[in-house]
Amino acid sequence: MNKDNSTRQLPYLGFGLGLRVEHYETLLENPGPVEWLEVISENYMIPGGRPLVWLEKFRERFPLVMHGVSMSIGSTDPLDQGYLKRLAALAKRIEPKWVSDHLCWTGVQGVNLHDLMPLPYTEEALTHVVDRVRRVQDALGRRILLENVSSYITYVDSQLSEWDFLAAIAERADCLILLDINNIYVSAHNHGFSPLAYLDGIPASRVQQFHLAGHEHGEQLIIDTHDAPIVSPVWDLYVEAVRRYGHVSTMIERDDHIPPLEELLVELDQARRLALPLLQAAA
Amino acid sequence: MSSLQALQQEMLQAVLADATPRLRELRGDERANAATRLDIYRHGYRIRLRDALAVEYPGLSLMAGKRLPALLENYVEAHPSGHYNIRWHGAGLAAFLDYGRPWREKPELADMARLDWAISTVFDAPDEPALAVSDMAAVPPSAWGELVLEPQPHLQILSTPYNVEAFRRAADQELMRPRLRHYSKMRHLLIWRQELTVRYRSVDSDELAVLTDAIAGKPFAALCECLAQYHGEDEAMSRMATLLHGWVDSGLLRSCNYPEV
Repeated sequence: MNKDNSTRQLPYLGFGLGLRVEHYETLLENPGPVEWLEVISENYMIPGGRPLVWLEKFRERFPLVMHGVSMSIGSTDPLDQGYLKRLAALAKRIEPKWVSDHLCWTGVQGVNLHDLMPLPYTEEALTHVVDRVRRVQDALGRRILLENVSSYITYVDSQLSEWDFLAAIAERADCLILLDINNIYVSAHNHGFSPLAYLDGIPASRVQQFHLAGHEHGEQLIIDTHDAPIVSPVWDLYVEAVRRYGHVSTMIERDDHIPPLEELLVELDQARRLALPLLQAAA
Repeated sequence: MSSLQALQQEMLQAVLADATPRLRELRGDERANAATRLDIYRHGYRIRLRDALAVEYPGLSLMAGKRLPALLENYVEAHPSGHYNIRWHGAGLAAFLDYGRPWREKPELADMARLDWAISTVFDAPDEPALAVSDMAAVPPSAWGELVLEPQPHLQILSTPYNVEAFRRAADQELMRPRLRHYSKMRHLLIWRQELTVRYRSVDSDELAVLTDAIAGKPFAALCECLAQYHGEDEAMSRMATLLHGWVDSGLLRSCNYPEV
């Protein structure tokens, strides 16, 4: 197990959940063993009203991190300065432990596809993204985390593996990594690579957070739906990730078909049961 | 143009296109060919926008019924999203229904969309204080004539001959679809937020007139004159008192201002 945590410099938060409206009241009344929450940044980049009141309540009770879906760090459109200003204002307001988004592009020519479109793994894309990450980090005054996305297409021009591309961006831009274990599994199936090779290719010192989620099997490919329980092979991959990266804040991310909180707490317990013995053994 | 820029523009057009194009930039394999892979993004784009619109427009969803999928599909194909927040893709739906065929033949749909969108935007409008009874009690008697009432900045007024609010209420409360009613006269709905709760109700023409004057910044004396045109001078003050009480009670006023006496 790699214990080199020197680059992280951000706190270890333990085991958390993605905050969803369906769980607002239950989480405040009886948070159970939830140690921290991840909030979707865009849901709270609003002028006022009820969502921000809820957010303040959660901020009093839990460590929060912000997770965005619209930074479009890989787009060739100019960085959306209005978006960055609102993101920075929200971060200033709620003081999250960290801010993350996805290694992808979500639109170009002023059109937003509202999807996490993969980038070609080329030197050109690498240089482009590194420059934008640096500028975003300057604007926010903090290092950001970038998450690996699930993907279905392969660009003919790609020269690097996805993990080499992600690792190189993290090193060159000096940002951190949010590893979605389910997304690695989904993309590994869809593109025929080894998920363990992926894990081996990511520098442990850059990994700050894990996402765990479920997916759906299509006829030929796995579709990343984040709307189902975590499957056994993803749990196995999580164990491998904990072995390699050690103490990494872990959370269950359910985006649709939101079940009762208890159901997610069972999954969170399973994450604990799998991770804690490995972490204790390595201590 | 960089090759990355060209690739992204080509991908964008491929996702938006009516039919799946063949892109030389994509590679398939034994699991799935390139077109099958691309279709996941094309399909997902449309589903996501339609789902977000249906959430943002519950009243319209109920009113349109079985025509809803076609309506949303028409809009999505005609209007790509330009905002980072998917919710704002719906901002142009009422205007689309005003002018797009065949929807413009059913003007109640555009009015319904306007109410849904007003509710949506009022929901997270900037937080503002609300005028309290104690604020009104503190106004010196001599200042009332020049008193200016400031309605909530987020207050919206919707004029429609249809009972659109009945559809919205039914959608929110999961009730049966109401019967569409077309009134001979235009009706006026107020949409505003009382603290964190969005409210909407219809108003009579006298209340609309006096509220419009208040929004324009006319002083209290002018508001009373406005009401006198509807009720005569004797009844105007009593009607004004009733309206004022209701406005303060429901958080419809932000503040009041008057010159120092």
